[in-house]
Amino acid sequence: MRRGLATMLVAVVTLGLWTAGASPAAAQSKKLVFWTHWEQNPEFNKFYETRGKDFAQKHGYEVQVVTVPYQGYEAKYLAALIGKSGAPDIFMGMTHHWCGQYDFCDRMPADLAKLWDENLPKYMVSVGKWKGARYGIPIEHGNFQQMYINSDLFKKAGLNPDQPPKTLDEWLAAMKKLTVIDAKGEPTQVGFALRHKGHPVGITDKFLPFAHAYGARMLSPGLDKATGFANSPEMVAALHFYSDLIQKHKVASLAFPTPEDAFGQKRAAVIFRESWFFGWVKKNAPEVSFKVYALPCGKTCPGAGNLFPWTNMVYKNSPNKQAAWEFMRFISNAKDDLDQHQAQGILPVWTVNLESAYVKARPDYRSTQEMLKQPVPPEYYHPKSNELATAFGEAVVAALYGKGQSKPLLDEAAAKMDRILSD
Amino acid sequence: MRAFIRMLAPHTYMDRQRRAGLLFVLPAVAYFSCVFLIPLGESVLGSFYRTQPGGTGQFVGLRLYQKVLTDPTFWQTVRNTVTLLFMSVPVTAVLALAVALGLHRLLSLRWRSVWTAMYFLPFSVSLVAAALVWQWIYDPVYGVLNHLLGRVGLPPLNWLQSLDLVLPSLALINVWARLGFDTLIFLAALQAIPGEYYEAASIDGASQWQIFGRVTLPLLNPQIVMVAILEIIFNFKVFDTVYATTQGGPAAASQTVIMLLYDTAFKFFRLGDASVIAVFVFVSLLALTLLQWRLFRRQVEY
Repeated sequence: MRRGLATMLVAVVTLGLWTAGASPAAAQSKKLVFWTHWEQNPEFNKFYETRGKDFAQKHGYEVQVVTVPYQGYEAKYLAALIGKSGAPDIFMGMTHHWCGQYDFCDRMPADLAKLWDENLPKYMVSVGKWKGARYGIPIEHGNFQQMYINSDLFKKAGLNPDQPPKTLDEWLAAMKKLTVIDAKGEPTQVGFALRHKGHPVGITDKFLPFAHAYGARMLSPGLDKATGFANSPEMVAALHFYSDLIQKHKVASLAFPTPEDAFGQKRAAVIFRESWFFGWVKKNAPEVSFKVYALPCGKTCPGAGNLFPWTNMVYKNSPNKQAAWEFMRFISNAKDDLDQHQAQGILPVWTVNLESAYVKARPDYRSTQEMLKQPVPPEYYHPKSNELATAFGEAVVAALYGKGQSKPLLDEAAAKMDRILSD
Repeated sequence: MRAFIRMLAPHTYMDRQRRAGLLFVLPAVAYFSCVFLIPLGESVLGSFYRTQPGGTGQFVGLRLYQKVLTDPTFWQTVRNTVTLLFMSVPVTAVLALAVALGLHRLLSLRWRSVWTAMYFLPFSVSLVAAALVWQWIYDPVYGVLNHLLGRVGLPPLNWLQSLDLVLPSLALINVWARLGFDTLIFLAALQAIPGEYYEAASIDGASQWQIFGRVTLPLLNPQIVMVAILEIIFNFKVFDTVYATTQGGPAAASQTVIMLLYDTAFKFFRLGDASVIAVFVFVSLLALTLLQWRLFRRQVEY
């Protein structure tokens, strides 16, 4: 009886293994695994799988997209890329982190790199490069903040939504008019939706346009020094202006935790956000009528800069890296660029597409053009940019919460950033 | 060695018993080694290495310990963690004991079960989900807490956006999440105390307070020590609730040691520094647990 059971068990296991091995699905399961953390852009991500099916007909590889939640994506990426097993063939991230801090990226074939260099807007050419070599494909144009204004609230405050403030002084005057305080002294509506919550990196990112408008920069041009830059008189003045929006002028409030929600709920009249925000408002707050303008200028104009230059990269240790580059080449053309970005409602990357009918019909077309005409602001594509921006952001948020004066806070931050840079 | 060989090839009844015992504990030991001992060893080893591009490490001796342990940010997170711990642990333990005593006095078994389940429910909820719910409760504009304050004529508070209120607000979430579990431990212990002790104390003329202080509390000592240890470990390692609600803000006022560890490892890619923090957490918890065990555990027999 016992022997019979054992024989039957062996037979079942053998049959199972044979079936799995002989399955046609298993024979065809050549897949390129693509990891992204752009969970807010599902249509954009789906495009890789759709085009992957066309790619499979020629090359035999399909594309499987895995969307990793943005919160904590670095942990998952790092564990997989260090561990090698279970790592993706293609992954999305910032080149200066994954290729700079670590050596996880495969260098892009020269012809493909040339194709991208020739077809990117000038300000984006450095995105995806590390030490002069191209590793990543930039995926987001318009990844810089612009000024979204609520037209109705502007009119209600006696302001003309077609004549936005052009300078920081005009802007502050408008913010004061747009702020409504109730009988208890609490703001029921603020002029500006200011980011004061969340990780300090995000807080730094939202403050930098003000810093750049004051002519300040967070790091030296060689990205090797913070003292004298992160705590320069211009930076101190910029932070003073920024924290006064809450502490003195009260045109922004700590009582509104999420700036996007405050704008969507008509509790804030103005927000500075990137091109994707247009799609967000349309979806989450369709009743808000808004216009998009270039950011106001101070001593200089803030320009089109960002802290998060997202790119697609190929994993150096992937056994399928040849096929991965072939797939990248397969979708590296103006049509795919336009189709993919249009599907999600975000701006395409190729220069030729910036004058397409789709882009021209967008509300941020003119403001984008205007921002791109401004001088290119400082870039901080350093492998330790997260850590540096955290140290800097801690000073910014401390000033916003009135924990200290701008100058000593920035002095402390600059010293800490120098320690990070020299380590 | 001889004992090991005898265990593999048992000759006597006792040898067979020992082998059976070993085989029974082997899965647990193997699991414990894989998920705890090996990572612990790796962390200790990793704390002596600085991560290089490509993931390789450079041996730097104790330099990372010196760096981390002299960093004011690190000590700020330790202060935040300890403050949160002091706000959460005593309140949770005392409240859990009070609730358990109340439930123990309920005569109806059905109602006792219903109330116990209700208290236990928050423990079964994912901490991230709970944190998000509490984020809504604390919302300065739409939150139910500020709504209630408004109803009694008090001004609204910026619970999670206030430098002074953020830690008490997070402590409240921890108390809510842990209360049911601790209550269950105390309730089980209370039910195990023989009724004769109480009868004897009553016959001797002891008051309710005297009975509580001289009979109940001493007999609950092992559970009180255990709850205190568990709560200290939980609150020292707290991450989910803080990460989901404040991400350590505002102005790092709620950044805990584990949050700093996470950022150091996965945002700043400094695995060596993060290993030092992990070793610090392990040693601190071990020391605290041993100290508590030594100071508070009493053998009580009647």
